Amino acid sequence: NEAPADVVHPEVRAHINSLVSALGGFDEDGQYQLGDDALEVLRDIKKWMRFYDQKLNRMDVARCVSETNLVNGDILAILASWHENATLQRFRSRVALACYELMTPLTWPLEKDAETATVNYYRHLPVLRLAQVGYKRAIINYDGAQILHTAIRVALPSMAVPLGDRTLRDQGIIRLVLFFLRNIVMIEPPAGVKYDGDESQISRSATIDAFSYQEIFLVLLTMASNMGEDFRTEDSTVMEIIFHLVKGVDTAKLFMNETQLSTAKASELTDMMKKEEAMIHAFNQNGPTRHSRFGTMVWVDRGEGKMSALSGQDALLSSAAREQKMDNSKKYRPPRRGRKGPDKKDLVGLGAQISLNARANGQLRKFVEEFLDAGFNPLFQHVRRSIDREAPHILHHHRAQFFYLVSWFLAAERARQKAQQSKLKSGQRKPAANPADEITSFNLVAGVLNQEMFIFMGRALDRSYNDKDWKELSVVMRCFTQILLTVQEMYESGNEDDEEIAENILSRLFYEDTTHDAIANIIKSYKDQGLDYLDACTELVHTYLRILEAYSKQNVDLQVRSRQRTRKKKKAAKAAANAAAAGIDASADGAESLVPDAQADDDDSANDEEMAQKASSERKFDFKKFANRFVSQGVVDTFVKFTANYKDMTDDQLKRAHRYFYRVAFKQDMSVMLFRVDIIKLFYDMIKGTTPLDRHSSMYREWEELSKQILRRCMKKIEDRPVLIIEMLFSKTPSTAHFLEYGFEKQTVSTT
Amino acid sequence: SKESATEGLGIDKEVEVKKRAREPRVKLDEARLLSDQGIPALRKRARVLKIKGKGHEFSDTYRLLSMYQLWLDDLFPKARFADALAMVEKEGHKTSMHKMRTEWINESKPRDIMAE
Repeated sequence: NEAPADVVHPEVRAHINSLVSALGGFDEDGQYQLGDDALEVLRDIKKWMRFYDQKLNRMDVARCVSETNLVNGDILAILASWHENATLQRFRSRVALACYELMTPLTWPLEKDAETATVNYYRHLPVLRLAQVGYKRAIINYDGAQILHTAIRVALPSMAVPLGDRTLRDQGIIRLVLFFLRNIVMIEPPAGVKYDGDESQISRSATIDAFSYQEIFLVLLTMASNMGEDFRTEDSTVMEIIFHLVKGVDTAKLFMNETQLSTAKASELTDMMKKEEAMIHAFNQNGPTRHSRFGTMVWVDRGEGKMSALSGQDALLSSAAREQKMDNSKKYRPPRRGRKGPDKKDLVGLGAQISLNARANGQLRKFVEEFLDAGFNPLFQHVRRSIDREAPHILHHHRAQFFYLVSWFLAAERARQKAQQSKLKSGQRKPAANPADEITSFNLVAGVLNQEMFIFMGRALDRSYNDKDWKELSVVMRCFTQILLTVQEMYESGNEDDEEIAENILSRLFYEDTTHDAIANIIKSYKDQGLDYLDACTELVHTYLRILEAYSKQNVDLQVRSRQRTRKKKKAAKAAANAAAAGIDASADGAESLVPDAQADDDDSANDEEMAQKASSERKFDFKKFANRFVSQGVVDTFVKFTANYKDMTDDQLKRAHRYFYRVAFKQDMSVMLFRVDIIKLFYDMIKGTTPLDRHSSMYREWEELSKQILRRCMKKIEDRPVLIIEMLFSKTPSTAHFLEYGFEKQTVSTT
Repeated sequence: SKESATEGLGIDKEVEVKKRAREPRVKLDEARLLSDQGIPALRKRARVLKIKGKGHEFSDTYRLLSMYQLWLDDLFPKARFADALAMVEKEGHKTSMHKMRTEWINESKPRDIMAE
């Protein structure tokens, strides 16, 4: 009774152990010899897994297998002994298939679902996660044979059969092998555990290397480009494999050549070092000059005969430092609502950014280029249709993966074109450049630029917003942004056909008023959805506004379809009067009082039914009025929360925030919306605070100028309207903001 | 016999534990904001605030911010500046506070017109 009880039933362990030892072994020459009943043994283990583990919802067999060296010692050796020219041996190929039938469930992604999890899950999961990493290392780095390639050999006879003639068994084999590949790409060292093996053996680079060397990329390309013809239900799995291969890879770096890459990396390093230096410098300037027990104490005169005591030398620095010290010494924290339960498992599984080594970078680039050339349109159009008709093989996380991949490949395509253009430019000087390097056309990605896709995306935007599925929503928003950027580039490409298509797309995109509403709503209602979401929605709004502005300038008579209310004539005026009396900001002027804002729509619901009915009609698009919706307090707050992370923001993100505030203050003339103490404090802190922006960064100048202008306006406003001192504490309603800005009430219909 | 042994010690008697109500937590609420220490005090402070104008944007802002900070420190000493600002902002959404705000704005209007 001294030994700790085994975590699995001893009989199960005994059964599995005897099965594994009956499978076969190495003879004196180091050759693997199959046991007499090897095929039956493999089938028995499979039965154990199915009828013990899966049926009873335990993970005991998987645990036992992980402790027996079955994969490493037996299965890989068996597969290695199945030679290329022995493909026709029926028995050997059946053994090989049985091996993959074991490995696929063994490498299946482990998820802890709190509702079905048994005690065994919590007991075995940590061990099994590590065991899977071990499987992946063994499979990718196995010297004796190409295990991934062998998997394809298993499926090849079934793939060769035309789609119509494939039996259920054939389809099952193809699926099995694809899932095996998916599992292998997907396995990563569990988060929060220090992996004690060689990371480079299981890293993304190693995976890509193995995929390229064992010609899996070719298979993926073939399947993707024949999607819809020779393959149907495999679309989601192929997409998943590609997703796990490219997620987190920086598209810009992917298309750099080696010298560019090394300069990019070097400049990244110098940037980081400069940042660190600045941090240390800032600390040293304010740091103590004497030892910690020097014991300085100061009185601060705060007026009205009041004094505060502060200790420490840093209190001598400046009054700003004293005030900050007073503030920091406070212990109280306002009560916060706890987080809503533990975070659900990230099904999309987007990890951090991945950096590849030069070799893998080249291999992946080649794959991505070939995929864009041949597989992009057929695969993604097929997947979109599958998702659209809610096909049974589509799972919930496939939508998010779809949107992620579309945005990733669009970004990759643009990066490629950029790289090629710069190559062409340098090629003009060197006539030796390959003339076959012509600029790729936007046709390659046309499959996601059609009307069906836009409708699909609009619906996804709505749906994930209503379901509060923020992760999916942020991926959809990123996809939308990438599409906008691609169309924008087409519009400016100089190619007449492309420009015409882009023009059409833009006019369709901006025609539906509902999209405008949706985007304005999303950014307005940000609350605790996380940084990634914040980044995605600000990026979308930035891009959307910018492109729409440019487009509406060139097309002065842009029409949009809006849903609006048609009312009986008499009551229309009355309702407008009511709305105005209630202090609701009806539309800008009398002529357009028939087009009330969404706000006004909600308010006079009392006599709704009799007098109002919805209809859609066209009206002229007014960009100024549209942009005004992005000046409301909710949107300003979102951007303020975004900018509050200025210390960690990239130049692009800083620019985005800068342009927005510039638009609010100077283009829309509503700088009053920014006059709130916390916002003013943010602007001040970015430039003159204790942790300002990096002085040497390129965005510093622009931000300094913007802050200065806004602060100047603020001071002037305070002198003009002393009541602003009070209003600076609060969020402003549109009417007070209007009064503070212009000094008179907004003219509404009723007051005339 | 056992009972009698412990009787003298008085440990068998039930001791009544009175539940004292917890001191109510001090809050930065409307009442506090509208008290003499609140907005009125802020307006008094604002009257002595000097604004130098063009060329001194950042030093002006510093004085403005420090005025708010010291005012909030007097009004509600336990919270940090940023937290207190958020609390005040939240109070501003209440109807009664709204009423007061419009009143203050209306109060300032005639003066604006006379100035023009």
